[in-house]
Amino acid sequence: MTSDGAQAGHGGLLARLRELFESADPVPDGLVERIRFSVALASMEAELAHLTDAEGELVRGAPEESRTITFDSSSLTIMIRIDSNADGSARVDGWLAPPQPRQVEIALADGSITTDADEQGRFAFASVPRGTARLVVRPPQPGSGRSSPGPFGMNTVLTPTLVLLAGA
Amino acid sequence: MDDGLAAGDDDGLTADLDNLIPALTPLLWNVARAAGLSREDAEDAVQTAWTSLISHLDTIRTPGALKAWLITTTQREAWRVAAVARRQQPADHEWLMTIPDPLGGADERALEAEEQRALWRALRTLSPRCQQLLRIVAFVPRPDYDLVADWLGMSRGSVGPTRGRCLDKLRLALRAEGGSQ
Repeated sequence: MTSDGAQAGHGGLLARLRELFESADPVPDGLVERIRFSVALASMEAELAHLTDAEGELVRGAPEESRTITFDSSSLTIMIRIDSNADGSARVDGWLAPPQPRQVEIALADGSITTDADEQGRFAFASVPRGTARLVVRPPQPGSGRSSPGPFGMNTVLTPTLVLLAGA
Repeated sequence: MDDGLAAGDDDGLTADLDNLIPALTPLLWNVARAAGLSREDAEDAVQTAWTSLISHLDTIRTPGALKAWLITTTQREAWRVAAVARRQQPADHEWLMTIPDPLGGADERALEAEEQRALWRALRTLSPRCQQLLRIVAFVPRPDYDLVADWLGMSRGSVGPTRGRCLDKLRLALRAEGGSQ
């Protein structure tokens, strides 16, 4: 009986072995996708920050004035101050401790606004629409020109959802 | 050791995970299965190796190092799971027990299946050592043989020659089968 295999060298036989293993004991369906998913989750390693201190009321309807809120996570403390702009939107100034450059996103009900915290850990959103919002503090963007320990040296930190109240 | 899979810096490796996962998972799967794990346990071991990689990416500089790290971690995880399950059976390769019958009745499929069965019977006549080595090198390009040497308990540089001897034995066994060769 003749076949290509008879003439093929070791490479041909190895290729046939590979086919044998692939058909007799294939990688389970969907394993690659499941791995991609769990790798993506592990990459986020999101820490949840907890509200530790709030000055002023957080409930809807409270008098709107400047107020300060502090969140703690295992690696980071986030303090924000919320002020009212004349147009009814909110201004959010924030500080990260320990001070470090980060990408800071404020996630709103419909979309998000992103800014960078500077070396002192300071960041600001000049105008944020009223409504629900949460902060997502990410490692600094690669290529932002700053030296950084790399995207996996830091965790992403999420705060609980806040309500940025409508003006009184 | 450039295998063309990824660039050398961390960012490049990170960005390439989407491509590396499908490219390297078959090898890791076979590492776990050749270590004697059940299909279910092998799946867990491979998944664990990949997720552990994430927290070690900052220490891995080259694609070769990344591949070696994954192979070693899969193997360690396989040993750990096997020890826990107390079912490591190095001499009894479950993965060689069954060859699926051709699905349809097409002659081509039938011939293919018969050739595979002949190859399987020939493979079974080899030492467990050769069976294990061939299973792994079937999924590893030659330039990466040194990466699996440790795993196979062999010295660097000896994987290639040993592979040659195992393949020679396999070829003889196939001829003795008188089948598809």
